[in-house]
Amino acid sequence: MQGRVLKPVLAVYTGLFILFLYAPFIVLGILSFQIGPEGGPQFPIIAWSTYWYRHIFGLTPPSRIAPLPIGESLIRSLTLAFMTTIVATVLGVLSAQAFRARFRGAGAAFYLIVLGMMVPGVLVGLGMALVANTFGVDRHWWSTAFVLHVVYTFPFAFLVMLAIFNRFDASVEEAAWSLGVPPARTFRTVTFPLIFPGVLSAMLFAFTLSYDEFSRTLFASGRELTLPLAIYGTFSVEIHPNIFAFGVLTTLFSLALLAVYAILMSASVRRARRVAIQEET
Amino acid sequence: MGQSMSDARAMPATASETPLAGGARRSLASYALILPGVVWMLLFLVLPMLMMVYVSFWTQTTFKIEPILTTKSWVMFFSSPTYVGALWTTLRIWLIVLAATIVVGYPTALFVGLFVRSKTLSTALLVLCVIPFWTSFLIRVLAWRPMLGEQGAINILLRAAHIIHQPIDALLFTELSVIIGMTQIYCVFMVGPIAFMLGRIDPNLIEAARDLGAGFGRIFTRIILPLSMPGVVVGAIFVSVMVLGEFATSAALSGRKVNLLGNIIVTQVGSLKWAFAAVVGVVLTVVMGIVVSLFLRIVDLRREL
Repeated sequence: MQGRVLKPVLAVYTGLFILFLYAPFIVLGILSFQIGPEGGPQFPIIAWSTYWYRHIFGLTPPSRIAPLPIGESLIRSLTLAFMTTIVATVLGVLSAQAFRARFRGAGAAFYLIVLGMMVPGVLVGLGMALVANTFGVDRHWWSTAFVLHVVYTFPFAFLVMLAIFNRFDASVEEAAWSLGVPPARTFRTVTFPLIFPGVLSAMLFAFTLSYDEFSRTLFASGRELTLPLAIYGTFSVEIHPNIFAFGVLTTLFSLALLAVYAILMSASVRRARRVAIQEET
Repeated sequence: MGQSMSDARAMPATASETPLAGGARRSLASYALILPGVVWMLLFLVLPMLMMVYVSFWTQTTFKIEPILTTKSWVMFFSSPTYVGALWTTLRIWLIVLAATIVVGYPTALFVGLFVRSKTLSTALLVLCVIPFWTSFLIRVLAWRPMLGEQGAINILLRAAHIIHQPIDALLFTELSVIIGMTQIYCVFMVGPIAFMLGRIDPNLIEAARDLGAGFGRIFTRIILPLSMPGVVVGAIFVSVMVLGEFATSAALSGRKVNLLGNIIVTQVGSLKWAFAAVVGVVLTVVMGIVVSLFLRIVDLRREL
């Protein structure tokens, strides 16, 4: 495969590709340290400062640039993401559990669920707004937007759980059943601990997707904005480096979340391994 | 283990009901388990989509819509050069971005899926590609402004390297900036599926072809490309669905010069023209349906995956 020439070329290309993915973020990180309040969201950096970080937390003297409207919207987004995570994961586990047995209409149900992640947010958002208007329901982030967030994230949770159940050894459950443990209890004490890493992944998916979800929320939530909507609101007016500083902070927060996930994941894998060793001895 | 066994003995009454019994009972249980999810999707996904089709035939007056059926909004869409133009713009940008994501993403997928032997390294590379997704989508889009602007990073770098002398001002607030932004945001959805399919190619197959004297070009077109097609199709479906439903990237990077169907929907909803927004929504849904079914016709996914 003429690997001697091709492989290094492709390796360099992949490096450039990853640079392409990260470049805007690097630029964003640099510009977030622009001096304020006179420095704009572009090069050159007039002077380095942490002005815009302090600006986010309201630690700077008042200037003509309004602080980002993030306080309440951040709480709303976190609450919404939390609600979505719980419901989407429960629905995902239940549905994937259903698919472990064959039943009629399984194909249709599968496509119906997967459709939720394929239909663009603009369309479901618009449809939901129309439904709410027609039935005289008020639109709020915790009602109409929430159900759409679940429509979007539940398929991800479902697919993750489906993959987990595919590799799942059903004989442990059957052993529990044959010993007379009722199904609900079997699920709680045998099945659930085994699928827990999958549940964790499903929750991570649901949380991050919902936290950042924007197009569905745009039409389906009312006057109270979620975080992405508040950011979208700054599009139309002039942008300042405070939005970049905020982007850096949210990314760090997300990466921290990812780290927590990694820790929980490795802990549960280690525990599973320990149990397996105990059983062997 | 010991604890659950003692619990099992404590409940002998339920033992007779253990569901080792028949398939009928198990499928009944499946229906009960799937029901909440299916009902949720019917109520909050299918109903809104049907509602959109229905409302697109309602009568729109200046301030409200009434459920009197008419095709006026439909006629208005197809007789207005602005809206039909938006349809063409959407299709054009979709095709360009789709081609760009394949061209940009395929070599990376080739490297990650086929050339990297170590499983750990290829996983690490894929994780590295996914990490940017943990920055807010909107902020990732906005970050292209200081990249592409007249005083932007690209112009500064190009001038420092003496490749250009005057800054290129066509980079930002044009169709090009929308295409660059979308390509960057969506190309990872192309890399993943292709790398997955390439990783499943049996190395012996390529070895055999090489032993028989085939050059890399021939191996690529006869073996690698056909076997990676299902990945390309899956990636293309992901990218297409997302690009066709876009409006935020064009709003942020085109300075309102590029109007996609998604942007029209947002504007129409903003001015409470619900019926008309619904028409545009239905048009978009139909376009998307055609695109996805065409892709599924190219490759029979159920057989390939």
